Amino acid sequence: MSHATTDTQAADVAGTRPGGARTMLLTGNQAVAWGARLARPKVCPLYPITPQTPVLEQLTEFQADGDFDAEIITPESEHSVMSACIPASLAGVRVFTATASQGLLLMHELLHYASGARAPIVMANINRTVASPWAFWPDQTDSLAQRDTGWIQLYVETAQEALDSVIQAFRVAETVLVPAMVNLDAFYVSHAMEPVEVPDPADVDAYLPPFAPEHKLDTARVESWGNVVSQDMFYRHRQSIQQAMDRVPQLLAEADRAWHERVGRAWGVVERYRCDGADTVVVTMGSMCGTARDAVDAMRDAGQSVGLVKVRLFRPLPVAALRAALAGVRDVVVLDRNHSPGAGGILHQELKAALYGMPGAPRVHGLLAGVGGVNVPPGKIVEFVRQARAGDPQNESVWVR
Amino acid sequence: MLEIIIQGRGGQGAQTAGNLLAATFFAEGRHVQSFASYGGARRGTPVSSYIRVDDRPVRVRCDIERADAILCFDATLLEGRLLAAAHERTLIVVNSGRPADDFARALPGHRVIPVDAIAISRRAGLGRIVNSALLGAFARAIGMPPLAALERTLAERSPKLTAENLAACGDGYRTVDALLAEEVAA
Repeated sequence: MSHATTDTQAADVAGTRPGGARTMLLTGNQAVAWGARLARPKVCPLYPITPQTPVLEQLTEFQADGDFDAEIITPESEHSVMSACIPASLAGVRVFTATASQGLLLMHELLHYASGARAPIVMANINRTVASPWAFWPDQTDSLAQRDTGWIQLYVETAQEALDSVIQAFRVAETVLVPAMVNLDAFYVSHAMEPVEVPDPADVDAYLPPFAPEHKLDTARVESWGNVVSQDMFYRHRQSIQQAMDRVPQLLAEADRAWHERVGRAWGVVERYRCDGADTVVVTMGSMCGTARDAVDAMRDAGQSVGLVKVRLFRPLPVAALRAALAGVRDVVVLDRNHSPGAGGILHQELKAALYGMPGAPRVHGLLAGVGGVNVPPGKIVEFVRQARAGDPQNESVWVR
Repeated sequence: MLEIIIQGRGGQGAQTAGNLLAATFFAEGRHVQSFASYGGARRGTPVSSYIRVDDRPVRVRCDIERADAILCFDATLLEGRLLAAAHERTLIVVNSGRPADDFARALPGHRVIPVDAIAISRRAGLGRIVNSALLGAFARAIGMPPLAALERTLAERSPKLTAENLAACGDGYRTVDALLAEEVAA
């Protein structure tokens, strides 16, 4: 697998402020690595893949400089990476990894295992097209295809949100003992360099205490994981994972609130942007939210009542929050940068299910926009919204560009 | 918002140049976003670097379809797809030893400033590493950021050959300065 490097070092531009937080110019990948560094994991199995490689490079650089006290393991494949993550996590230590696209797909079997074993690993995934054909563009099909593996999934818009989300994800994952995936779009976030406030390590330490699970693999106190079980035990085990997942929207909201109290930033579970009085709302995930904000501003300036709902937490799908955010809206325009052949846009499908049976449910228009990294500038979103409002929604997702 | 495309080939330093330019604007108090995209990160394949500069945080996350200015590391890339991102006022700085008249004839309707960055870099002792020379030239062509600010960024971030990179940057800047002065005189 080819890999790319970012040979410009992150520079501390604005210097240290009194609180110990620093504003630096970082790419999304570097911000992820900073989030991991601040979370103080003990084990980081990693395998390089475009466009995730700079995460690995940055972490090894931190370690070489003596700033990152984790054991970095570089096994021969992503399958082996996840195979290393699971027992390390079950041994009771904090574990971080990162991957993308084909690498995530190669982990698939172990993703189920990790959630079943209740190993609260945090993984950053850089959303990149899935082969074949071979490509390197932003597309969320890789992680959305893992939606049934039992991992919490967050989708972030900026490098800052990526950093903050890695730390928040550890807090939530370790509370419910479910692994969490922080997804960021290839290039638009992973390779976009922008100002990022790196929090004071003392703030992160206070926010995220060391991982200390009640049960762990310990030769001095023998327990075992993953035994052969009866149907009844399996059934109850699945129920307990569901119960854990059901707690996540509330726990993420609380984790986000506590983060805001400490560092002054919050991202929400579902964010409503200029939705007050909106008759039409764009719903999307990841980097396209940023572009949609400019489109919404343009439409508002033109006197149209259009807002944006950003789905930050996709698994578990925050159904109650989505229903509340979209209540009273006439048209919902879903922008899916992913594709499930035979089904269409995955967020479109999920949102229709979430709103089903809701009194006065909005009309849901599903648009396959930006699949394969096709460029979606603000003007295009304005046009998509105009067309959707003018027509009746189709049951199927519609290809647009 | 100022939108810039830097087009090069893998290994030429277009991505680094974009980040250096963004870092300089950021140091000058502007909000920036700089990102690269490439087909497969192989040496020699086209790499696009996009830079946005604004007075407020940059939220939009898409390719730049209409650039205010283009810096092209390789004249063979100055064609269809890249030119489609240029309107008639887009300033194009290209790494080439050919005279400006050649480009004016070949690309009517485009404003192209050629800079022989390889010659500049060789004089500075950098061989074929052209990004510092081109950044100096580009900064003069678009009128920002100030040369001193660019030099501060290069001094902080050059992994080695700092003096050589600063010399190439200054030489690139002055080359375009002279070129523009000639145009005014003509």
